[in-house]
Amino acid sequence: MRWLGLTAAILAIGLAVAATPEPPGYWTGPTHSPVPSSLTGGKVIHARRLAALLKDEHQHAVIVDVSSAPRRPENLPTSSHWLPLPHHAIPGAIWIPGAGLGDAPAQIDSFYRQRLAAATGNDPNRTVIVYCHTRCWLSWNGAKRAISYGYRNVYWFPDGIEGWRAVHFPTTVVTPEATP
Amino acid sequence: MGLMRTPARAVALACLAMVTLPVITHADEEDADRGARWKQLQESIFPHRQIQDGGGIISVDAPPRALDAALVPVELQISGNKSVKAIYLIIDDNPAPLAAHFVFGPKADPHDLKLRVRVNQYTNIHAIAETADGQLYASTKFVKAAGGCSAPAGSDDAAALQDIGRMKLRLLSTFNAGKPVQAQLMIRHPNFNGMQMNQITRYYTPARFIRSIDATYNGGQIFHMDADISLSTDPVITFGFVPHEKGQMKVVAQDSSNTTFNHSFDVPGV
Repeated sequence: MRWLGLTAAILAIGLAVAATPEPPGYWTGPTHSPVPSSLTGGKVIHARRLAALLKDEHQHAVIVDVSSAPRRPENLPTSSHWLPLPHHAIPGAIWIPGAGLGDAPAQIDSFYRQRLAAATGNDPNRTVIVYCHTRCWLSWNGAKRAISYGYRNVYWFPDGIEGWRAVHFPTTVVTPEATP
Repeated sequence: MGLMRTPARAVALACLAMVTLPVITHADEEDADRGARWKQLQESIFPHRQIQDGGGIISVDAPPRALDAALVPVELQISGNKSVKAIYLIIDDNPAPLAAHFVFGPKADPHDLKLRVRVNQYTNIHAIAETADGQLYASTKFVKAAGGCSAPAGSDDAAALQDIGRMKLRLLSTFNAGKPVQAQLMIRHPNFNGMQMNQITRYYTPARFIRSIDATYNGGQIFHMDADISLSTDPVITFGFVPHEKGQMKVVAQDSSNTTFNHSFDVPGV
């Protein structure tokens, strides 16, 4: 049993070194930086368990992708090549850019609130899964915001689409919701 | 050859291979994605044209892991004796991938070109040389950087616009009439790309970016550059030119609001 203690010690050291504390409010620092390993009021889930959960829920879970979306500048010359990459998402996900901003504008906040209400049928017990990219704070913020709206089964998937694709789970190409 | 000299190294390499094995299969998938993307870009930017391997003709360098995705330094170098008339810089996975297109004039020395760009996500960067006979040659570099397109340009949009268009020029090597010299051009311009949120108003700052730069020396063209939203804030371009005598470099930049910025510099200056 000595190896167990040793493993625990190594794990503890690893955690102490790697740990990023949860900020008290929303994170407004750099979007792409190390994220915490927890989310108060929510559950953290990883790719294989998420796939199993989605299977159990028979498409009952609401999946929200909060990655940012490229915006074509209005004055981009027609000679420019505007070719945003196809956006891969977990099948069934709704893509709400901006929902995970640290201080989201009021119009985005209310759009997100209404969109979640519609998708869950106003059921605060429905499973809500929020993700974006790996090492990306938008999903942490987006999940925290969903919790603040009163949802009781919020899962934060910190591995993001990269973590999902890394284990060869399927994706679909989606377009963003028309946020205000 | 020396890599496998010691058994310990061989073991270490074997372990490394085992650890990275699942990642390699994922990487294969990513490689396929990147290949498809590059094919799409080739068809869109260079329709019906062949692109050959740029080995020995053009090379592109950038830090493999950039410190700041909004300010990624890229260096393009031309070698060999083919005459290069234009260079394209393509950031594959940016939404507007063609970051810059340089066309060289008679006063240019195109061997070494540096600029700073925004990188939206992990991506290949392609540098394409177009030779005088119309052939295209490509080289590539993978860069790990993310978020460069939405990174705020600064805390204050008004301040960023205040001395817009101010320019500086610096010679990086000794002036020697008839010999190529490297120069660094700095232009004050926020180069807003329309994806940056103002930190106070929480609205997107409208795009305003440099669309073209013309540099001439004593009336002869050094380069013409077309660009859009991938150039970094306060563009810095390092380029070569061949001055046959003391004289004046004239730089004309035009932005997307159709504002023109002019500056003339005495060369070698004081």
